[in-house]
Amino acid sequence: MLERGNRTFHRKKITISFFLCTLVLVLLFFRLVYLMVAKADYYAAKAIELHERERSIKAARGRILDCNGTVIADNKTVCTISVIYNQIEDKEAVIDMLCRELGLSEEYVRARVEKYSAIERIKSNVDKETGDRIREYDMAGVKVDEDYKRYYPYGSLASKVLGFTGSDNQGIIGLEVIYDEYLEGEAGTILTVTDARGIEVEAAGESRIEPINGNDLHISIDMNIQSYATQLANQAMETKQADSVSIIVMDPNDGELLAMVNVPEFDLNNPYEISEEMLLAADISGGDAENLSTEQTQNLLNAMWRNGCINDTYEPGSTFKIITAAAGLESGVVTPQSQFSCPGYIVVEDRKIRCHKVGGHGAEDFVHATMNSCNPVFISVGLRMGAETFYNYFEQFGLLQKTGVDLPGEAGTIMHKVENMGEVELATVSFGQSFQITPIQLLTTAASIVNGGNRVTPHFGVEITDSDGNVVETLEYPIEEGIVSKETSETMREMLEMVVSEGGGKNAYIEGVRIGGKTATSQTLPRGSGRYIASFVGFAPADDPQVIAIAIINNPQGQYYGGMIAAPVVRQLFENILPYLGIMDYNEEDIAGISLSGETGNEE
Amino acid sequence: MTRKKKKQGQSEYFFDYSLLFIVLFLLGFGLVMLYSTSSYEAAQKYGSSTYYLEKQIKATILGLIGMIAIANIPYHFWEKFYALGYAVSALLLLLIIPFGHESGGAKRWFRIGGLSIQPSEIAKICMILFLAVMICKMGKSIRTWKGFIALVLMPVPIVLMVWKITSNLSTAIIIMGIAVLMVFVASPDYKKFIVMGLGGVAAVALVVFYIVNAASADSLDYRGNRVLAWLNPEAYVSDTGYQTLQALYAIGSGGVWGKGLGQSMQKLGFIPEAQNDMIFSIICEELGLFGAIAIILMFIMLIWRLMVIANNAPDLFGALLVVGVMGHMAIQVILNIAVVTNTIPNTGISLPFISYGGTAVLFQLAEIGLVLNVAKRIQLKEG
Repeated sequence: MLERGNRTFHRKKITISFFLCTLVLVLLFFRLVYLMVAKADYYAAKAIELHERERSIKAARGRILDCNGTVIADNKTVCTISVIYNQIEDKEAVIDMLCRELGLSEEYVRARVEKYSAIERIKSNVDKETGDRIREYDMAGVKVDEDYKRYYPYGSLASKVLGFTGSDNQGIIGLEVIYDEYLEGEAGTILTVTDARGIEVEAAGESRIEPINGNDLHISIDMNIQSYATQLANQAMETKQADSVSIIVMDPNDGELLAMVNVPEFDLNNPYEISEEMLLAADISGGDAENLSTEQTQNLLNAMWRNGCINDTYEPGSTFKIITAAAGLESGVVTPQSQFSCPGYIVVEDRKIRCHKVGGHGAEDFVHATMNSCNPVFISVGLRMGAETFYNYFEQFGLLQKTGVDLPGEAGTIMHKVENMGEVELATVSFGQSFQITPIQLLTTAASIVNGGNRVTPHFGVEITDSDGNVVETLEYPIEEGIVSKETSETMREMLEMVVSEGGGKNAYIEGVRIGGKTATSQTLPRGSGRYIASFVGFAPADDPQVIAIAIINNPQGQYYGGMIAAPVVRQLFENILPYLGIMDYNEEDIAGISLSGETGNEE
Repeated sequence: MTRKKKKQGQSEYFFDYSLLFIVLFLLGFGLVMLYSTSSYEAAQKYGSSTYYLEKQIKATILGLIGMIAIANIPYHFWEKFYALGYAVSALLLLLIIPFGHESGGAKRWFRIGGLSIQPSEIAKICMILFLAVMICKMGKSIRTWKGFIALVLMPVPIVLMVWKITSNLSTAIIIMGIAVLMVFVASPDYKKFIVMGLGGVAAVALVVFYIVNAASADSLDYRGNRVLAWLNPEAYVSDTGYQTLQALYAIGSGGVWGKGLGQSMQKLGFIPEAQNDMIFSIICEELGLFGAIAIILMFIMLIWRLMVIANNAPDLFGALLVVGVMGHMAIQVILNIAVVTNTIPNTGISLPFISYGGTAVLFQLAEIGLVLNVAKRIQLKEG
């Protein structure tokens, strides 16, 4: 037995020990209260984040339809093949099967199958049949997820307009970018609860947030016209061995673009494959194509995807005389009847600027000067207005701003500053040189001058509908009225019709249709390089324009005059599309012929 | 001594049914929680959801048999084995070097047949016996500085071996803690212990200060990194802080009411081997704050019963044995809960009677058997 004295202090100390331990346990209890009450939400949220695996479900991207309702950008079901490390039972069989079905190297597949990760993607964009076949093997650990891939049934048609999408369903170029927010929809998610190895806990079930499919975009392009225009452009490029050919077809009254061709186009279903044309243009033979640096490849791709009608500027040359003439008429410095004399050149300050006709056109009125595309006359008109007035008209016509077309990367106008515009600059600008604009700008301005004076906004997008076809939004574009007077517009139409019926644009003449237009042949910089751009702007019917088109042939070999090579392109285009659009009826030729001769008679 | 007289009145002797009940409750509760915690991992790893449960039940039955046997052996019987126990502990620890079985990066076990035995668990009970005998032998010389220092130094060789050979700092701390508590109870002095306590706190603070201000985490060993992970587990989530953070997720997501028995998510592999040291976090997750309180209360009751028995023990030897067991239980429960709640840096300490571990439960029950025998010798005053 313990001695009495000892016993008391022992007991005391044992009791102290007990209370010390209890005190510590009580403190730990408060620690637990803190963790399980105050911090509960924080840790619970963190834990849920850890337990839930999120798989996103792609939303079907909206389609793009042309004006006839033909689907030109669609989705096709493709599969993504992945493996889940922890679920694989027979690794070798899985590797063997995936190599065989997907045509991948064993090394590549093995590295992915053997990688310790929650889920490893083997290949995406696998077509549905292959995906279904793999699913039928029913191998543990192999996952086949269905997905959508953008598909363009027309291949390369209007490639630079439509653009394409990337792997995450986002637009990369073209309309796919501009209308991305309408098209993309909203991705859904599947939330599953998994254990630490990523295996789904069955009892926990899964929650799904359904994706919202994208809306459909209806555009003004008519694939029939686009298709025919592409054919003509290819033909012109081939026969003229040109670098590129662009054709734009537009409704001049509201700016709806019916076609926009930039050949060479590229295959929208394989946008990352550099076309042979690009390789040839870059002087890369087949063998070298394999060894391109990333930067080289990217540059070539960017060049291939470039939409010349919108992204590139050029010196318009004589087609710009439409604008000079309209400004001249509007300002009153010239009338159709004004008389001029062309000796074959004109001296501006210390420069002698030649007319394209060496001997000169002699005495002529303004109508004939336009028909002859006489440089000295247009220089005189420009000089009569003076820099400031001319410049004000540029502004009024909307030339100095972008057109606002619904495609990305529109280039701006490169023009002299008004204070730097001396006589020589003024003179060269008058016939379309020494500054640069985009083809779409030229066409839009010309359209606005001949359509009665309303500056339109060129555009593709017409309306947005949901997947059931209900209109979600009708797209509207600004029209600025009265940039030229109705009278000037009418005079311009008459003069430009004369250009086609009797002047430099006669190669665009179609019997029985009233066509107006203007040719251009511009030498590209640097001068004397022998590189030209031949172009023609034409519209029909001349008295009430319903369609306007421009054809631009870049660096043609041999004959390079716009009137000789670009005008026939527009003529062929009109010959086919005017009946199609119901603007020309061959059966009413006689009536049209009579009215045509009547009109021309008046003007002469 | 009055032993003979007592024997004549056996019926007057006391059997502590409360203690037995508390221990049985903890064992039963422990097995339920062990099954809940380990079944998923067991099924994945061994194809049988009861793999861990079965092993633990076997050890528990063996332990209960051992407990009943020891409860019926007069505790003075063990007195003569004190030096042998010390020597055996030291020998077993030394034998770990050539024959130890390595698991999880540490050499701590012997594998004999299908059984694995952890010598450091044996060392704990041997140390309790050894110190109890030594203190009794020393008598009043414990009050001298010499006696005090001698007593404190006695467990040090075993402690160092546990620490260095089995690289098990936590068990080393527990053994040292048990020793200090026993010396504290045996010595009438307070000052020395207050100084020791303050010194200990100062040393810990200094070490933590050093680690926090160390030039870089690379220059520290894994214990240093554990301290850093303790201070900011979320910054070390990929390695040292992982287990702690996972335990905090479990505790926090349990909330006040818990997710319900069997509903833990964190046991699905997020907390590796949750049935071992981290089982308390799963208890928190499944049974909530109230479940956790219930367990803490049960342990407080266990310690209280041990205190009552120690206070009423027939002699100093018996009292010291019970104090040793009390210290063992209390320190382990405190450290386990402190680790799981990230109150102290992570170090592997199991929860008595509940965590998975055969040797541990076997020897814990043996200790309870010893206590029950001491309790039996208590003479009821008015009896």
